[in-house]
Amino acid sequence: MPLWLEMQVLMLLTYAAGLGLGWLVFKRKG
Amino acid sequence: MVQMIEANWIAFALALLIGLLVAWWLFARGSKGARERAHRPDVLDEGMGPAQRNQALIDAPSATAAALTPPPVSVGMAGIGEVIAVAAQDEVEEAEARAADEPAPVAAPAAEPPAPAPDGEADDLRRIKGLGPKLAALLATLGVTRFDQIAAWSEADIDRIDAQLGAFAGRIRRDSWVEQAKFLAAGDTASFEGKFGKL
Repeated sequence: MPLWLEMQVLMLLTYAAGLGLGWLVFKRKG
Repeated sequence: MVQMIEANWIAFALALLIGLLVAWWLFARGSKGARERAHRPDVLDEGMGPAQRNQALIDAPSATAAALTPPPVSVGMAGIGEVIAVAAQDEVEEAEARAADEPAPVAAPAAEPPAPAPDGEADDLRRIKGLGPKLAALLATLGVTRFDQIAAWSEADIDRIDAQLGAFAGRIRRDSWVEQAKFLAAGDTASFEGKFGKL
């Protein structure tokens, strides 16, 4: 796996993790 | 992999932040909107009065319908225009009841005292600029089928017919029907085209 692709996948996973975390936090408040 | 994250931690932190921001945008704001919708005001919050008034306005006949079918009034109280309008309306209704296959214009002209009775065959009123198929049909129900009838209209006649044109009120004067009809009734096509454009 080329380095740039690995980087992109990790970035996408990080973004998804942020989205999931935000959902958990704000869903409870709302 | 850990080394890569450590080397680019700013980029990953930014991605996480964007993810959080999007989640907030989607869920926090969305649920706020849902709360606002849950408290939507109702017309009945103000009591029954406004609701009843609104219902009465909805149930009331439209102004157009009222203009097209004037209520029957006593002769002593009414203007001559209203009497003629009521008579014309009755005549049209009778004609429709008598024969569905017979066109109304044939029977209706009897209720048009100011206009000469259309003894000849009907003209194509749509040749008048600003007078389309709908208006021609409407005029036919009022007994107007010929150019010489329109050409003979007085100011009072125009007012009377205008009041029965509903959504087309004001067209007679705006488009100078009488003047156009005078040329067309006389067959003076050259003068007509000179003044109002090509037929």
